[in-house]
Amino acid sequence: MSVLRGFLWLLAFLLLGQAIMLWLPIALPAGVIGMLLLTLWFCQRGGMNADVVAVSQPLIAMLALLIMPGVVEIFFVAGRFADQAGAILTALLLGTLASVASSLWLMRRCLPPETPHE
Amino acid sequence: MSELGATLAAVPQAWFATPIGAIGLTLAAYFLGVHLFKLMRHPSWCPPVIIAALLIAAVIALLPIGIDDYNRGAAWLMLLLGPATVALAVPLYQQLGQIRALWKPIVLTLPLSATLAACYAVLIAWLLGAPPEVLASLAPKSVTSPIALSLTQELGGSTALLMGALMTTGITAIFGVEWLSRWMRIRDPRLIGLALGINGHALGTVRAFEISHQAGAFASLGMSLTGAFTAIVLPLVWHLWA
Repeated sequence: MSVLRGFLWLLAFLLLGQAIMLWLPIALPAGVIGMLLLTLWFCQRGGMNADVVAVSQPLIAMLALLIMPGVVEIFFVAGRFADQAGAILTALLLGTLASVASSLWLMRRCLPPETPHE
Repeated sequence: MSELGATLAAVPQAWFATPIGAIGLTLAAYFLGVHLFKLMRHPSWCPPVIIAALLIAAVIALLPIGIDDYNRGAAWLMLLLGPATVALAVPLYQQLGQIRALWKPIVLTLPLSATLAACYAVLIAWLLGAPPEVLASLAPKSVTSPIALSLTQELGGSTALLMGALMTTGITAIFGVEWLSRWMRIRDPRLIGLALGINGHALGTVRAFEISHQAGAFASLGMSLTGAFTAIVLPLVWHLWA
């Protein structure tokens, strides 16, 4: 029952996010607004709701499963982007390696070194 | 005999007439994918999601059903992405202590890193002559999938191409972080975790948890913040620029 109550909380914040999305001048996904509102609510009450924690762990663990149907489609529409394949692959591979390099470099410069007792 | 053949041929169509067939196939492929991944000794270049997606694609190609029949049923599973995104508030809240303690360096580095993650790919693809639809599908490539999916729809990109981009990015980021951190002599698990989360979204975060709990915590922090930051900034920049 705790999981279902938690699920209802998530749906309530998702619906709240959808309602707020209508008012916002920027296009933020309803789920993201719901996520930020839920975080704020936790901060405001000074702790997490046990029901939400109970349902969020299995849901987050299911993320890979939930995105799979989208991955399947790439095998069927890949032909449509065949003439762009070179540009797409170069952009993804080089772009990702470059962004990994710059984020590692930036953080090494800015993050204080770890204290030994941690 | 031919009557039996005709009945058998009608079975897959009957299965996929309701969402049950697609949901059953997705779950079965997922667990088989995880099992095969273990048998292959956890290759970082081939996560279970890819194995499972290949299995599903093979089944659809073999059966007398189309990708549209599958997608119609699987949409019921993908509906859960909405509440799953809201559920990311839990790891985000759990990391608030870490964020408060390190807020200065994180505020300095994370927005820039998240911006660069999107910019490099879009810039390279644009220089190579990719059309706006492709650019819109590549821009949210470092963002966790539920956020990236709604972002790419908002920008006018292709969902299928974005999913492919997400997978390629996640795998490249895992490889890149392991290779470059060794080359740059970086051993701090917080740093490696943040880099995995910012650049490699959920796939990178899963990998970070394999390295250590601390790396995993920082990866989910990097992933959540990159997602929230990109979701706010990308549509604004995109519409100003377009």
